Amino acid sequence: MSSQVDERSVEDARPPQGKDRAQYGMCAFLVLVGIAVIVDGLGIPHITSSTDPVGPRAVPVILGALLLLVAVAYAVDVARGGHGEPEAGEDVDLSQGTDWRTVLLLIGAFVVNAVLIERLGWVISGALLFWGTAFALGNRHYVRNLLIAVTMSLTTFYAFAIGLGVNLPAGVLQGIL
Amino acid sequence: MDNLNNLMQGFEDVVAPMNLLLALIGVLVGTAVGVLPGIGPAMTVALLLPITYGMEPVQAFIMFAGIFYGGMYGGSTTSILLNTPGESSSVVTAIEGNKMAKAGRAAQALATAAIGSFVAGTIGTLLLVLVTPVVVDFAVSLGAPDYFALMLLSFIAVTSVLGASRIRGVISLLLGLTIGLVGIDTVSGQQRLTLGVPQLADGIDVVVVAVGIFAVGEALWVAAHLRRRPVEIIPVGRPWMGRKDWKRSWKPWLRGTAFGFPFGALPAGGAEIPTFLSYATEKRLTKHPEEFGKGAIEGVAGPEAANNASAAGTLVPMLAIGLPTNATAAVMLAAFQSYGIQPGPLLFEREASLVWVLIASLFIGNLMLLLLNLPLAPAWAKLLQIPRPYLYAGILFFASMGAYAVNAQPLDLFLLLTLGLLGFAMRRFGLPVLPLIIGAILGPRAELQGRRSLQLSGGELSGLIGGPVSYAVYAVIVVVLVWPLVRRFVVRPRTSPA
Amino acid sequence: MTVLVGYVPSPEGEAALRAGIDEARLRGEKLLVVNTSRGDAYVDPRFAQEPDLAHVREDLAALGIEFDIRQVLGGGDAAEEIVELAEKLDVSLVVIGLRRRSAVGKLITGSAAQQILLGTDCPVLAVKAAV
Repeated sequence: MSSQVDERSVEDARPPQGKDRAQYGMCAFLVLVGIAVIVDGLGIPHITSSTDPVGPRAVPVILGALLLLVAVAYAVDVARGGHGEPEAGEDVDLSQGTDWRTVLLLIGAFVVNAVLIERLGWVISGALLFWGTAFALGNRHYVRNLLIAVTMSLTTFYAFAIGLGVNLPAGVLQGIL
Repeated sequence: MDNLNNLMQGFEDVVAPMNLLLALIGVLVGTAVGVLPGIGPAMTVALLLPITYGMEPVQAFIMFAGIFYGGMYGGSTTSILLNTPGESSSVVTAIEGNKMAKAGRAAQALATAAIGSFVAGTIGTLLLVLVTPVVVDFAVSLGAPDYFALMLLSFIAVTSVLGASRIRGVISLLLGLTIGLVGIDTVSGQQRLTLGVPQLADGIDVVVVAVGIFAVGEALWVAAHLRRRPVEIIPVGRPWMGRKDWKRSWKPWLRGTAFGFPFGALPAGGAEIPTFLSYATEKRLTKHPEEFGKGAIEGVAGPEAANNASAAGTLVPMLAIGLPTNATAAVMLAAFQSYGIQPGPLLFEREASLVWVLIASLFIGNLMLLLLNLPLAPAWAKLLQIPRPYLYAGILFFASMGAYAVNAQPLDLFLLLTLGLLGFAMRRFGLPVLPLIIGAILGPRAELQGRRSLQLSGGELSGLIGGPVSYAVYAVIVVVLVWPLVRRFVVRPRTSPA
Repeated sequence: MTVLVGYVPSPEGEAALRAGIDEARLRGEKLLVVNTSRGDAYVDPRFAQEPDLAHVREDLAALGIEFDIRQVLGGGDAAEEIVELAEKLDVSLVVIGLRRRSAVGKLITGSAAQQILLGTDCPVLAVKAAV
């Protein structure tokens, strides 16, 4: 007389405890952005005029400086053990680790669409995107998904591109649609 | 009264079949989006924005208004029928609402939520009609320094979001401002942060930002942590209420509206605070205190009304001053801007018919929502059975479609991905998303106003202080910034035990 | 040797459970109650929540049968999981409940029952809901 729940999860749970070191990565990112903004700002010719006494440089430089300041304050906060709660939501189960495989597959599907959209047209690349995403997220009804994907991309193409004049490329199928 | 005439004209214009159809589509999409996890009204408006470029602005905004209000209705259905609440503004509804549902009173909970939302929405929109012209009169007197001060206040207010530390809010804001910086500076014509890429000269389109951070970021985040255990949903029949329920609900509805509307109109007021306040008040005033915590109908009626009234309230500063107080208002503001319309005091002069049709459609949309949600709530709940792969595939599909359609350049899709990754990182590290959106949308405008103020004073910083409004606003800013420090070093030591 | 019951919280699932109990008694074998969900959708009416499971546990305990309840989350379809379990464990009989479906319904969503019938090596008992 026993019961048991089998969860087929992907990785072991690894909840962040104490200092969440990964946040230093975010810190570093902020520093990089701050420096980039300042460098780019200083590269702008300092043009002022009577109508614009401040010039285009001011805000980038101030913003860059603020970014660096905040990065420091953030690092201090992290060192003291502060951490931001990873966003919880209706769909999210945070006790498992991060499922990188799914994320990478998703990014892959997205990039495929981005690269192929102009060459093959929305109808094909959009369908690929939909199918790829459904696949990445674990849905295994391959044929059914393909049908749904193509229906969606055809419908949206006709309804929006042709009906409402939205910019969607026809690509390879130009002339057929 | 002049405005009533305008409103009547608005109603006449709205009743055109195409406009009604769009209102219906808007409320349907809005409710669906409110019910479904992972999507919210702000993201949906951003997603649909590129599609509407071919439409008349009026039609697009009628649809957006429907989505805006519809999201509130959908969110309450989920929070009552499921164990987990949906949007943050529905958290409080879930406290009593879910308990009522578990006790077999789901029908009453849904009914009071829907009717309360309708009452609050209608009263809120009426207040909108009455209050906005007053605010517009006030806003006309505002000069560039005053606008600058108000926007600064918005920035600061938005960084203290419930549930995240201020530092993180600031980080998010600064990132948003940086994104807004990309492009050609309007005043001097110089390129900033374009990294030599010519397509970036126009800046990063707000659709790409909003859709990237909200939609793609959310999709990636969910992909990384997909929840596998289905949630318990409480089956329910048609919502309805008995006479006692009506008697207990109507005052909370009115009180909730009174809480919600002003808070919605204040910068960073948002919908969470008034719903909490409403709950606390109802708890104190109720004649049935023993029911609170077990399913008291006042605990659903009040917060739901507060929720919807605050949605109406956010439209006041957005339309009258051009100041958004939450994510959806920010995206709507961006939507206006993308049509070349600038909300603010001149909006009522230049585009009077547009605004009044929009307001009239709010009333109609509200009515449609009541009629749709009251009988159909259980059907809406069925939407939750859509498998997540399809849901998120659909989100990414529309996101890519919209992002490409903005400018017909694949670069936007790569930008979308980059911003999506940023959104992912922000969710991972608990950085709130709202400040980034506000920063990206308001940042350029704030800079413009700031530089204009300084222009008038020839570069002296004193130019930033113009009329009495800017004095008042800066005073408020100082108080807001200084208060936490005061509290820590002055108030607490005094109250520590001897 | 065990009797495997594919359980869902519905009349068909209840019928399968009753039939499974009878069979287990008849054969003097253990009862394995299996409930699965792909975990794809936010709400899955075929997933047995705690109150349902508690109910089943009580019933079975009251009847004094040796039983085991397993919930499989995030795997494949119910049919796939049942076929797999039937192979892995020493299952002598699989009991499932049948839903009456229209021809179109079967076309669109396929037939789990058919998959199980054809996929397992052991006999399969398919029952219908009590009318």
